[in-house]
Amino acid sequence: MSAKSRNASSDALERVNKRIGQARGSFKNVVNIPVLVASVALIAYGALVIWTASLSISAASFSRHLLGVGLGAILALFCWSRDWRGLSGLSTALLVLDLAIIFSPYIPGLSYNAKGMTGWIEIPGIHLTFQPVELAKIVTVFLVGGLGAQYNGHIDSVRDYVKLCGMLAVPFCAVVAAGDLGSGLVVFCSGALIIMMSGPKKEWVLSTIAVLIGLVALLLAADSVVDSIVGHDTLIKQYQMNRLLVFLDPSSDTTGAAYNLQQSMIAVGSGGFFGKGIGAATQAAEGFLPEAHTDFVFALLSEEFGFAGAMVLLALYALLIFSTIRIAYRSDSQFLRLVAVGIVGIWLFQILENIGMCIGLMPITGIPLPFISFGSSSMLMQMANVGIVQSIWRCRAKAS
Amino acid sequence: MDAKLVVIIAGIILVVAILASLAILRGSSGRFTYDTQGGTRPRATEGEGNTQGVAVKGRFTGLAFAAAGVFAAITAKLWSMQMVSSDHYEELSRQNQTRTVTTPAPRGRILDRNGVPLVTNRASLTVAAYRDLADDAVLVRHLANVLGMPYIAVKRNIQDYNQSAQSLHTVATDVRRSTVAYIQEHASDFSGVQVVERTQRQYPYGTLAGHVLGYTGTITSEQLEARIEALEEGTADARAGQIQYESGDIVGQSGVEIQYESLLQGIRGEQTVQVDVYGNVTGSTSSVPPEPGSDIKLTLDLKIQQACEDGLAHAMSAGQSQGYAEAKKGACVCMDVTNGEILGMASAPVFDPSVFIGGVSNDAWAALSSEESGYPMINRAIAGQYMSASTIKPLSALAALKYGVYTEGQTTVCTGWWTGMGEANGKYCWDHAGHGTMNLQTGITMSCDPVFYDIGKAFFYDEKNPEGLQEVYRGWGLGSTTGVDLPSEAAGRVPDAEWKSEFFSDWEDADRSWNGGDMCNIAIGQGDILVTPLQMACVYAGIANGGPEYVPHVFLSAVGRDGTGDAASYETRKRLEGTFGKKSDIDLVKRGLYGVIYEESASQAAHFTNLDVTVEGKSGTGQKSGEDDYSWFVAYAPAEDPKYVVAALVEQGGFGSTSAIHAVRDVLGAIYDQPDTAGDTAGDGAR
Repeated sequence: MSAKSRNASSDALERVNKRIGQARGSFKNVVNIPVLVASVALIAYGALVIWTASLSISAASFSRHLLGVGLGAILALFCWSRDWRGLSGLSTALLVLDLAIIFSPYIPGLSYNAKGMTGWIEIPGIHLTFQPVELAKIVTVFLVGGLGAQYNGHIDSVRDYVKLCGMLAVPFCAVVAAGDLGSGLVVFCSGALIIMMSGPKKEWVLSTIAVLIGLVALLLAADSVVDSIVGHDTLIKQYQMNRLLVFLDPSSDTTGAAYNLQQSMIAVGSGGFFGKGIGAATQAAEGFLPEAHTDFVFALLSEEFGFAGAMVLLALYALLIFSTIRIAYRSDSQFLRLVAVGIVGIWLFQILENIGMCIGLMPITGIPLPFISFGSSSMLMQMANVGIVQSIWRCRAKAS
Repeated sequence: MDAKLVVIIAGIILVVAILASLAILRGSSGRFTYDTQGGTRPRATEGEGNTQGVAVKGRFTGLAFAAAGVFAAITAKLWSMQMVSSDHYEELSRQNQTRTVTTPAPRGRILDRNGVPLVTNRASLTVAAYRDLADDAVLVRHLANVLGMPYIAVKRNIQDYNQSAQSLHTVATDVRRSTVAYIQEHASDFSGVQVVERTQRQYPYGTLAGHVLGYTGTITSEQLEARIEALEEGTADARAGQIQYESGDIVGQSGVEIQYESLLQGIRGEQTVQVDVYGNVTGSTSSVPPEPGSDIKLTLDLKIQQACEDGLAHAMSAGQSQGYAEAKKGACVCMDVTNGEILGMASAPVFDPSVFIGGVSNDAWAALSSEESGYPMINRAIAGQYMSASTIKPLSALAALKYGVYTEGQTTVCTGWWTGMGEANGKYCWDHAGHGTMNLQTGITMSCDPVFYDIGKAFFYDEKNPEGLQEVYRGWGLGSTTGVDLPSEAAGRVPDAEWKSEFFSDWEDADRSWNGGDMCNIAIGQGDILVTPLQMACVYAGIANGGPEYVPHVFLSAVGRDGTGDAASYETRKRLEGTFGKKSDIDLVKRGLYGVIYEESASQAAHFTNLDVTVEGKSGTGQKSGEDDYSWFVAYAPAEDPKYVVAALVEQGGFGSTSAIHAVRDVLGAIYDQPDTAGDTAGDGAR
């Protein structure tokens, strides 16, 4: 009993201190320094890597990358200035918005299909292209965060838990149906993390995982049978199957699906400790490494800057993620706390998946590396995420 | 079928699971409504605050650990790739950027001792393709039309060689330039077909010395593996100057070609260029010009080699004309007794090494390895094992003298029927009329069997040296290989009690015990004794030298790869010192061998009295049941200061004096420019 009361009193003291600090208008209290440092350093690091890539890869336009950073900074400032708690009750609106965003590339006036790419929209009038799925990731975080926050940290009914899971399944299935399994997994993982942090019982989570594993296994087993019944490639696309098989056995195919993985691993491994130096990354410069400035940018970075450079990158990511976890923990609002957790989920999964696929830890999917990969949509939304995290820090102790 | 069953079962399980969870969910509180109505208002109660706080803290700790786990996994993998295995990846990265273009190096030529080329090279445009191309019927037909070859031949050439599937298979050699131009202009129609310029073996003298020279062929996968293994076993220093073999390389497959492969094989030139991912050359890093293989000088003398072949052919035709229709196989070898240099080595039947150029067809290979063709690939001079017949008698005499079982003054009365082991074990002399009173020297001259039966019997009953006879045979090199620098040499056989007991191990003990008859048989070179023509040439070289035998060899020297100086030359090595008692024993034997040439029979002497030099030698007639006699003749000259020894054997050629003698005489005639003027008479049956 005495321990409890001591905790409660120290908690109260802390809040008081915070309010005093905020009243003083201290910069530290409105902007989280570690997150700011980590994100600015990551953006600078990314700009350096894209600049080196632009030396040999014509598609990697350094100025366009900087444009994305500039727009992202404006967006981040906007996100930081807002108090996002107002979204917690707008679940229906968020769901509709989310689906609209996910399927927007299929709207005739918006879709942009140049060079065989799908999943892009062109904003009418200003010729700006954008990947809406990047926006859908954060919208889904708000949606699931809002739903999860209702339970204030502990879900008592299994029915509620199942409904929560069902609500996550909607945007996930929509993204996958729109043809982007990789982004679907990002949506799924960040949402799943939010649900787990919303306080369900352990047994439910464990049995959900077991059911999911069973479903995946069933899908894999049924794929060939369904294909043979239907007569064409339906459930799992052949290239996805190949990527999975190559991941399980990299030597199985050296010309097709395994080529990217092999070249990427050669690039990473040949970097050694200090790397080959700026502009000396032969794997990327001479075209052996595909997508060196987008999906496989980590391989380029590792080839140029070696183990040391990769460790610096990982350290910056670690600073960003652990600081964000700390911000989430210290937030008074269950909703903002879950939104911060969702953003951690987005970052953590994208880092794991993107770096993992470059080094053979994960199967290959097309997910950008946050803050580093060339691509304005991703850069814009990752910077917006930083803005949201900073806003959560700013609003950590405000009463509702 | 199985997969479908799995899916059905899994589907049933899934449906059951869904029904079960619905049943469980029915009983829950139903507090969940979709929206929270502007809801900052939490519907859940705060609960027990501190428990809640502890739970939240635990969840965040778990999240932090999960994040740390992700970073740890990535770091560990990066460590293993960039710190531990970075050399491996660096090598792969380097390989990515470089392509190596090789230029083949011509093989060294093979020359006779005077520098006359026996094997040379010529450039040849070759059309080659990989095996899987054979499935493309349209392309194969097109190629056949362009090359002017039958469709089936082209298809067989692409498919059929005794080559690995990965190597380029030669489709056609010596393709005309216009044809090559057509194929290169229509490269898209002939994808997978390659035109390569290869140097090919050329044999100016056709089949001459084919058994010694050997033939070349594409390296087999076993050979390639063995080469690579040998290379890997060596130290880095040893590897430096070594030849790196690749699939598709032409290597020696028999004879000198395989024996001196490492000298003859050139080192291919390599040009390493830097390329980008599209194969565009972005720079050149290094270039090593091809180094041709070394030319090799053999001890063979073209004139003597030719004489050996012609003489052997003469010997066989002489045998055939005197009723020995099967006299079609044999061997003839001529050697320098003073150093073991082989001046000529012939084996019949012959084969044409040029059929192996560009890969031997299955049909040709089958023909070369069939019984009807007489196994022409066998070099009978070193791999043919025959009863020595009477040519071994000088060694029997030396053994008898050494162990004193038959002395110089001792005599045997030959009546044509010898009963030294009792009437029941009586044996004929080849001359059933009998030679009368014989001693060792006349016994050799007249090849009188009873003299040697007495020797065999004496050894058999000699308690101290029951195998003294075999010891002396071995002491002159029988029963072991001569060490000649040619592959596939046979060792022959000197039979003794131990051998007989083992060889006939499934016989009754009584039948496989060594008996007096066995001893008498080997004393005259019949029975189970086996020798090669080269072994007998060495034995007679030893007798001519008064003891020393030199290791026979065909390699004289190798010209350096740069064309100057000798990279290697053969150093004469003594093989052994023949076993005998005292110097006068050899003199006795030599007198006997002199007698064979000039005294045994007038018709035999007639072949040698027209030669200025004195010849000493011995004939032999091997008896094999069911076949005609095997004809032997071995001789050396000049008797006073021996220089050349010639040994000849004709399978089923009759008496020694019927056929083999002509080969020996013709070779000596070629050496001394004094051809035999005496005709191929039947002789008077001297053996």
